[in-house]
Amino acid sequence: MRNIAIGLLFSTSGPYGVVGQAMHNGALVAAEEVNRSNPALRLQVVHADPGGDLQRYEPLCRDLLDRGIRHVVGCYTSSSRKELIPLIEHRDALLWYPSHYEGFESAPNVIYTGAAPNQHIIPLIEHVLRQRRRRIFCIGSNYIWAWENNRILREVLVAQGGTVAGERYLPVGDIGLGQVVDAILDAAPDCVFSTLIGTSAYRFFSMFRAACTKRGIDQATAMPVLSCSLSEPELLQIEPGARDGHISSSVYFSSIVSAENRRFVDAYTRHAHGDASADAEASYVAVRLLGLALAEAGGDDIAAVSRSAAGQVLRAPQGLVRLDPQTMHAWLTPRIGRSTAEGRFDILAEAAAPVQPDPYLVRSMPKLEPAQAHLRLVS
Amino acid sequence: MSRLRLIQNFSGLRAMLFRPTPDSASDPLQHGLARLGVTVEHAPEQPDALAELSLCADRDVLIVDGDPGACAILPLLIELKPPVPVIGLIGMETPSRLRLLMEAGATAMLRKPVQSGALYTSLYLGINGYRQRQLAEARIAEHERRRRGRRGLVKAILHVMQRDGLDDDTAFETLRRDAMRARLGIEDYCDNLMQTLPRQCAPARAPFKQERDHG
Repeated sequence: MRNIAIGLLFSTSGPYGVVGQAMHNGALVAAEEVNRSNPALRLQVVHADPGGDLQRYEPLCRDLLDRGIRHVVGCYTSSSRKELIPLIEHRDALLWYPSHYEGFESAPNVIYTGAAPNQHIIPLIEHVLRQRRRRIFCIGSNYIWAWENNRILREVLVAQGGTVAGERYLPVGDIGLGQVVDAILDAAPDCVFSTLIGTSAYRFFSMFRAACTKRGIDQATAMPVLSCSLSEPELLQIEPGARDGHISSSVYFSSIVSAENRRFVDAYTRHAHGDASADAEASYVAVRLLGLALAEAGGDDIAAVSRSAAGQVLRAPQGLVRLDPQTMHAWLTPRIGRSTAEGRFDILAEAAAPVQPDPYLVRSMPKLEPAQAHLRLVS
Repeated sequence: MSRLRLIQNFSGLRAMLFRPTPDSASDPLQHGLARLGVTVEHAPEQPDALAELSLCADRDVLIVDGDPGACAILPLLIELKPPVPVIGLIGMETPSRLRLLMEAGATAMLRKPVQSGALYTSLYLGINGYRQRQLAEARIAEHERRRRGRRGLVKAILHVMQRDGLDDDTAFETLRRDAMRARLGIEDYCDNLMQTLPRQCAPARAPFKQERDHG
């Protein structure tokens, strides 16, 4: 039997610890399956928790690599991933990044199993435009995920005759949201696009629902909140009365009906005593693909494992998943879900087949940035 | 003049590589360009063939290795000044090599060995930098043309002052309105106006004298 140590580098504590815990659990479920299904291979999982502190990712990753680990599955935020890439490249290791992100990257030592922008934000915009909602208020945590998603949203929306009714950013973890909620209510948009993450997002959903109710507004109908990151475990962090009616664009919901998903949800629930989510499934997919590639490559050499990974096809909980050899991003199946009061998602729409990743949006966006109007009102 | 809309999607672009053909099939430069939807062609090595190349600023970008011996036709490239964006490949970071790339028109650089992660930034800065420079040069040329037209403008003001008995401000306003009606720049309008007049109609007196007469 070949023992291979792999690192899990997720912030299972800190401002986005709920998501980090889900990713960690998904990876553990996959590692158990790999070990059970392949007697010749035993994955030994070594976990490190940066606690959401950007400064701690690099030293913790260095510790993992110093132990001889060549494959690290980890990171949720793009800032943490970018923090690790120079080290990962310098040490010739491989980072398996299992989170949806804003794209515009294809690092040679990273394998991306989360959704690229053409698999999350583009389907979400198409969905709201089909609903004839054209005035959108954008709020987000102040980092690259929010900035870039809002840029894509603005460009697509404006090209279709829509408008951005307002745009606000808050520091990660900030819960002082009163002014933002007031600004949204004053602008009265058709919907709100939230790229807030973690505690800021949970607090916002509760406060916004309460403020709307106080004014006699049925928030879920009049101004639904759209997101590309809201997941099942996060719904449980929102006050019970504010959990329903939010729109999420994701490649996975725990309510997907398939034999593979039933098996995954059962295993996940047994392991984590909670509901599975897109983040959990993405890290599950990463470790399953890693297990298949390690077994085929016969060791943890990163060039051999990358080559092997690019040829795998996995029957994942969300459907068939495979890597695009050119970008090492995954073919995934976009879906739109609406949250329920019970903390799950009803699936409103889904792609007919897995969608090719387009991290640089070369097939999904126009060549030129949109024209900006320079007219102003004069008295 | 409207703001330049930047190119952010390079799909459909053709990159012409002026460098030695790499030994490895997994060349990060070609691989990274393909990932961005850019097709790759290797530039001809013969000087004659270079002059025959059909290049278009909206479609082509040249990626030129500035290291000694890497691109034999670099001097010719400098001489021909290709009308397309140029990105320099840098191994030796010395003033003499950088200067050659600047003279070839490079508006962005890529360090060797090329990391595919740096490509998007180089294309973005190189191509949009080139387009901004083209726009700035066109604007400077236009300003220069208008500056040259100032003599005709002064002559036309003096002509209208004399013809209509106006002060210089009112004469200028009259010309500006007429130019707008004719949908011409004021310098062009004045130039046309003065061309149509017989020589003897040119103002006989100095403008300041005229101004004092009106005062």
